[in-house]
Amino acid sequence: MEATEKPAGAEVAAGLNLSHLGQEVSVPAGARIVSQGEDPEFFYVIQSGRVRVFRETADRIQTNLTELGAGAYFGEVALVTGQPRSASVEALEDATIIKVSKAEFDRLLDQNPQLARQIIQQLASWLVTGDQRVEAEVVHQVKLRQVSWFDFVLMMGLSLVLSLVVNIYNDNRIPLVHGWGDKGLISEISLNQALEMYQKNQAIFVDARKSAFYSQEHIKGATNLPEILFDLMFPMFQFTLTQTAGDKDKTLVVYGGTFSRRMDIDLARLLKHKGLERVVVLEDYSGWPKVFPLKKKEASAPGSLPLGFAGFLEWLPLSIFLLILIPPIRRSPYLSVFCRVLLAAIFISFALSKIMRPAVFALNVVDYNLTPAWGVNLWSLALPWGELVVGLFLLLGIRTRAAATLIGAMNVIFIVGLVNAILHHMPINCGCVGEVGEPVNWVKVMKNTGMLIMCIQIFLYDRFLVLDRGGFILRDRKI
Amino acid sequence: MKKDFLKVAAVLGLVMVGLILGGCGESRSQFAGAYKSIQPFAGDKHVDLDLQENGKGTWTLGGKTVEFTWMVNDGKIFIYTKPGAILVVTPAEGGKILSADMTGDWHPGCPPGSCVTFKRVQGGG
Repeated sequence: MEATEKPAGAEVAAGLNLSHLGQEVSVPAGARIVSQGEDPEFFYVIQSGRVRVFRETADRIQTNLTELGAGAYFGEVALVTGQPRSASVEALEDATIIKVSKAEFDRLLDQNPQLARQIIQQLASWLVTGDQRVEAEVVHQVKLRQVSWFDFVLMMGLSLVLSLVVNIYNDNRIPLVHGWGDKGLISEISLNQALEMYQKNQAIFVDARKSAFYSQEHIKGATNLPEILFDLMFPMFQFTLTQTAGDKDKTLVVYGGTFSRRMDIDLARLLKHKGLERVVVLEDYSGWPKVFPLKKKEASAPGSLPLGFAGFLEWLPLSIFLLILIPPIRRSPYLSVFCRVLLAAIFISFALSKIMRPAVFALNVVDYNLTPAWGVNLWSLALPWGELVVGLFLLLGIRTRAAATLIGAMNVIFIVGLVNAILHHMPINCGCVGEVGEPVNWVKVMKNTGMLIMCIQIFLYDRFLVLDRGGFILRDRKI
Repeated sequence: MKKDFLKVAAVLGLVMVGLILGGCGESRSQFAGAYKSIQPFAGDKHVDLDLQENGKGTWTLGGKTVEFTWMVNDGKIFIYTKPGAILVVTPAEGGKILSADMTGDWHPGCPPGSCVTFKRVQGGG
């Protein structure tokens, strides 16, 4: 800034007579006149040119407050309050300004009540504007942290609609409710009746479950015809029946053991469709182990197949158990971004492995023995789409708290299912990443627990790289 | 904002393409062909297994034919039946012998009593 002697007489700016005050200085474009945070020494009046008033954060994010031209003044607030400069001022073009010292400014105020009034009005106006800005920011942040019912309805509704529409056009489509509308009720007999037939050798007992369950425990002498392999295996079953003297005339007692009754009732229906008349199922589907003599063998869990990239990704959530031990990292929004991307990748890949073959996944659901008959297919159709939609919401940063809540809820359900399967020694596949080859064990439970903790971290601390109601937030914003 | 959204969409697209391509499986040509069971269903009551290169296949036992789809993943053949069953088939001797795990899961070594062994024959595919 270059200072020159102010010509005597007669500079009037902003309605103020400054003829005997201050020092005129020339400021080139781009030069900083006032810096935010410095102690105030002068009051400035612009004679010519334009300046920009702005605030700047520690990481150099600038917010323009206003632009001022000839006749305007600045720097009075800090002189009145005695506080450090609240904003910086920079010349937008070559400018000429008058620098008035603190002592001269005080005299000027004494002699110009209209200036004092203007300053009070300006300060009051700033207070009101500032309050409005703070309110807008608070509202924005609150909205960002809000979880509304709409978010859940949106994600679940989208998943449901997509699953139903795709199922219509899918070559591997399944009915919404398995067995709904199937004609021909299957007769049921009580356990006591069945036992009597068993003891009198009047019936053939057919175990409809997968062979792993059959091997683990079955009624002594029962034949295994897994319902899922019926098409492939029935000719051999039929052949066996015809070869055994007297078996043709015996009643077929089909039993299963799942809450959904998927296996036993379905197999009985299929056998009836093949022309076998005397087919019944047990009334108490799960009571047979207490009544009949059993043949037991130690459970043989399915083997583990390499699951590729998805299988590798699934190990990463275990890292959260270490990361949450470090307080600054635990609360970091950058960790939230890591968790979001990882969970999104896992859940999208989980979903893609199941979406096109819902019947396979439905059988995995049946194996867990927790879902009623009417819910198996609906759950099997909607869950993979839910994983996909929620995964995409997490990845894109849309409604992340609600998305994390839904994924967390899914993980709770998965953990309950897994623990139940482990405690009951069920020889089943997880059905999580791939369709086969993923055994159920405590490591799997730990992986899901890691994912659950990641969801909680996202819920509490995610506020970065999100597309929220107020627009896309690239930076971490604080009030 | 628009630029950021495009960046996110591009990343998302790449992730999706990668995942979809990753799920396509391997070439079927090595295993396409006709097979006949040799254990335990042999002789008159054998199973004919026909794996076509287009991913379709048939299982014929006792004059009854069942259609299915199949794919190759990690060197193993996965047979998908309409009701939702999966048979994991492990090839041996360069695809001349196939061992089908009839449990509906995969067990190392194909469990005795629940394993059907096939031998490749001329034709089919």
